[in-house]
Amino acid sequence: MAKKFITTEDVRRAGAGQIVVDAETIVTPQALEFAAQSGVRLVDARGAGWSEPAPDRGPDAQRAMRSLPHLPEPASDSDIDSTQMVVVTAVGRNRAGVLAEITSALSGLNGSVHDISQKMVQGYFHLVLTVEVPPGSSFAQLKQVLECLGGQDDYVCRVMHERVFRFMHRL
Amino acid sequence: MGFTDQEILETIRMFELETLDIRTTTLGISLFDCADSDIESACEKIYAKIVHHARNLVAVGNSISTDYGIKIVNKRIATTPIAWVAAACGERDLVPFARAMDAAAKVCGVDFIGGYSAYVYKGLTNADRALLESIPRALAETKSVCASVALGSTRAGLNLDAIARFSELILETAALTADQGGLGCAKLVCFCNAVEDNPFVAGAHSGVGEPETVINVGVSGPGVVRSALARLGPQADMLSVAETVKRTAFKITRMGELVGREAARRMGTTFGIVDVSLAPTPAIGDSVSDILELIGVDRTGAPGTTAALAMLTDAVKKGGAMASSSVGGLSGAFIPVSEDAGMIEAVRVGALSLAKLEAMTSVCSVGLDMVAVPGDTPASTLTGIIADELAIGMVNSKTTAVRIIPVPGKGPGEMVEWGGLLGTAIVQDPGRFGCRVLHERGGRIPAPLQSYKN
Repeated sequence: MAKKFITTEDVRRAGAGQIVVDAETIVTPQALEFAAQSGVRLVDARGAGWSEPAPDRGPDAQRAMRSLPHLPEPASDSDIDSTQMVVVTAVGRNRAGVLAEITSALSGLNGSVHDISQKMVQGYFHLVLTVEVPPGSSFAQLKQVLECLGGQDDYVCRVMHERVFRFMHRL
Repeated sequence: MGFTDQEILETIRMFELETLDIRTTTLGISLFDCADSDIESACEKIYAKIVHHARNLVAVGNSISTDYGIKIVNKRIATTPIAWVAAACGERDLVPFARAMDAAAKVCGVDFIGGYSAYVYKGLTNADRALLESIPRALAETKSVCASVALGSTRAGLNLDAIARFSELILETAALTADQGGLGCAKLVCFCNAVEDNPFVAGAHSGVGEPETVINVGVSGPGVVRSALARLGPQADMLSVAETVKRTAFKITRMGELVGREAARRMGTTFGIVDVSLAPTPAIGDSVSDILELIGVDRTGAPGTTAALAMLTDAVKKGGAMASSSVGGLSGAFIPVSEDAGMIEAVRVGALSLAKLEAMTSVCSVGLDMVAVPGDTPASTLTGIIADELAIGMVNSKTTAVRIIPVPGKGPGEMVEWGGLLGTAIVQDPGRFGCRVLHERGGRIPAPLQSYKN
């Protein structure tokens, strides 16, 4: 059976030469340093240098990875792939060109608006847009671009994933 | 999509104005395989294993925040109680384990790591004793390590010997961290019926029944409940209040469920539990005390407070239970005095006494939390306070905890500022009567009749 760890003490016991490390073994940072100092080579079964294995999260993790995608989710009542949907909201003082600013920013990121609604109360507006973003596009970038719009004493733009609303408001 | 504007704006309001957030995603890591007869090797393994598993924990948390627009405030680590791992080395001084945990936490970028812990409700192993004795130095020498000790359970009763020793250790910890107002004690908690999957510090650890690695999530949201009750107004009857809290807790917990699933998937591990706890912070509006006052008491601590808190805790649990199949941890309402601006105000105006606080803990989810007492409080009085609190847990088959800080050099009514999340405390008066004989008597309070269930 493979060793779980190789420590400084293991390297010290090995003396000089090399230690063959199993694929799933974790070499402690202290052991790595000591091996380098004392000229001990840590190699894998093929004779190549040791590299840190991917974490073994345990027997339950493998089953969890299989079952997690199949946990029931709140249903989406749309036939569009909802994983690509975001909700953009903007709230602030109304002025000419707010909607154009937001939609042109979205268009620059290839976002497609599916739903839009705007209400005005005493010179202030709130705007809600449901937007489909192309597969593989960066949510972080979209968020950053949109949240940089507006500003103090103007309006504030927020972006959240559609799944947040589905989890909160649908069973 | 079919969301109404009202639904969308409600969610945005919760996150933007009502301080809704995911309080913590905590990665539980089993350290059983790190046991070694050589303490240096054991510490090396602990450091390596924690870093190996938790290296990307903060990055995963941040990526979920970015992708979903949900704030995840803390990312933390909980480990197997160190007393179990350290038993093999036979050492008397276990501080090196705390240093290894601290160093690993620093590399992973987490602010707290829980698990410097022992279970001693029936008695001490040699390793348990070594761990207990090293707690004051471990907490004084490290920044992020949190210690917890299970001193009682409904099944086993209360270990009064251990409680008495623990009280002395609290005082030693306070003395070693006197220059920070006894801050070491804020990282030290004792339990009756300790929760093995608790994601919240200081009591976070990964118990004996937990998997190799696991993601547990703690959601919060006192601000959301507070705002919902403010909108409901004072005319609505209690059933409406309970219903409002329940509905709000449901929505909050759903966010925990979403983040828990996503964090587990991205970490490649098991999703353990969502702990749905109203956990206050010193931020304005993020207060459990405010909720109690909105329910209808003039000040937290006034007559009616315990009833209001009982209803609140129960409604939170009910809403949470419907929202996730994995509700666990402590789930309910936290009442950490120094961390809740409203509670501090209640202490300042004389509404909230230590005695009333104890009564409140019989119906809330935890216990006496972040309570400051005078620095010259005798160990016997601390023993009495802890034993009282744990007895409530023992008899009611619930978790109770004590996190108490004897502030060196301060007397009743004086203020102490810990800063950050730990907030500000006013030193509370434990009274002038003690329990020296009870403290010296020692032994064990046997398991109550409630435990004979088989």
